[in-house]
Amino acid sequence: MSDIGMILDRLGRKLVTEVAPKLEGDYSAGHAAMSGLMAVMAGEAWDSAADRLVNEIAGIRGLLALAGKTLSVPESTSVKLSELTAERNALAEQLISLQSELEASDDDAAKDLNAKIWMHLMATAMNRMPSPPDFPDAED
Amino acid sequence: MHEAELAEKFAAYAEARLPGARNTRVAAINRIHGGASRQTYSIDLAYEDATGPKTKGLILRRDPPDSLIDTERRVEFAAIKSAYGQRDLPVPEALFLETDTTALGAPFFVMGRIEKGDPLNPFKIDDVEPHRAAIGKQFFRHLGSIAALPVEGSALAAESESPALDQCWRKELAYWANEIRSNAQSPQPVAEAAIRYLERNPPPPAQRLSIVHGDYRTGNYLQDGEGTMTAILDWEMAHIGDPYEDLAWATDLLWCGNDQERAAGLLPWPEAIGIWQDASGCQFDPAAFEWWSLFSHVKALGIWVTSEKAFAAGENDDPILAWSGWFTHAAHELMLAMRLGPKHGAGA
Repeated sequence: MSDIGMILDRLGRKLVTEVAPKLEGDYSAGHAAMSGLMAVMAGEAWDSAADRLVNEIAGIRGLLALAGKTLSVPESTSVKLSELTAERNALAEQLISLQSELEASDDDAAKDLNAKIWMHLMATAMNRMPSPPDFPDAED
Repeated sequence: MHEAELAEKFAAYAEARLPGARNTRVAAINRIHGGASRQTYSIDLAYEDATGPKTKGLILRRDPPDSLIDTERRVEFAAIKSAYGQRDLPVPEALFLETDTTALGAPFFVMGRIEKGDPLNPFKIDDVEPHRAAIGKQFFRHLGSIAALPVEGSALAAESESPALDQCWRKELAYWANEIRSNAQSPQPVAEAAIRYLERNPPPPAQRLSIVHGDYRTGNYLQDGEGTMTAILDWEMAHIGDPYEDLAWATDLLWCGNDQERAAGLLPWPEAIGIWQDASGCQFDPAAFEWWSLFSHVKALGIWVTSEKAFAAGENDDPILAWSGWFTHAAHELMLAMRLGPKHGAGA
């Protein structure tokens, strides 16, 4: 099986460094550069996408369990990104409801669990942040 | 519509509106990259009138099938008219507004072209050197000047609602919360938590009602490379509201390479705020700024999820929308989480 991340990386760099400069002056030059930039980013994200989703799912399931919530969202039967994403999204809806409930409560246990939810959200946001490759003028 | 056809139809439209014009043609037309909220063209219009041959530089802003921002071009046109010729603001002249789709297949408006200057890339703000201080002073003076423009009797006031001073925040938050909830392709726990936080902790009432540019930031002005801001562009999110909205948006960390030492990546904070106060007549209030600064991240998420939806649905295949839905969304989600988490007991 080919290395998809590597292929996206090479395609992106080709678009940015070879194709886009040849289109300079044409509107499509910006499209080529931006597409190449994101292809490189997609190549990097490809490698970690399943890992990131599995961790997000485990984190939310743990928080809902701490709150004593019945876990009604079935576990994915595969590690296809589409299935993991659907599971994560269903759990995230429950997390939003839980956090909203906790904010309405003044007791320390609720505040403690809410702080844990924020720790999860901060870690998730950090993991989702792509690192843009450094191409001269690529994101113009 | 191909550019040749667009040029031909535009020449006919312009000739009918320029007094005494004849033999009108488009001598040059170039689409300008980056204007995903409108299709933006730079046009050299050649024509003759009683005084002889003329060439006029114009900017055509035509509605695309979908855009980054769902706005009425009528409001953008009115905002530009409200600022043109006021308080030394470098704003293009608003010329024609066409809401009918007959002429060019979509609504559009036309501005005079400001001939000198290029935009600065907000992701490469160091390119402003060696004119960082000069541009910074103009940036905050013009921002304050926009806040001080008269609202009553302005073209914008005729086209948009003027909220009560204590309702500016509520109106904007409700609008962008609805954008997020209507357009997000996946659940948004950080945005939802931020919306709830902002609702529970409202800002002080606006010190005054102002014309709010709505997207005043590096990337949306031109500078001549010699230390002068030559144009303030992209008024499509203009409305009437609290001037802190513009101050907070202009200094959002995304637009300044994450430079926390300088406001907007341009000037030391005390100097920037001083210039803005002098030009706007407002007093800086840290509590108001904190609220509007958090709100800026939420507003940004509203724009980014709308972009992602349009791209995913195939309504607009401009790659800038995919970039917005991915990179800039992730950046603003991270900023919000890192600012709100500690307020709820989570360690930074």
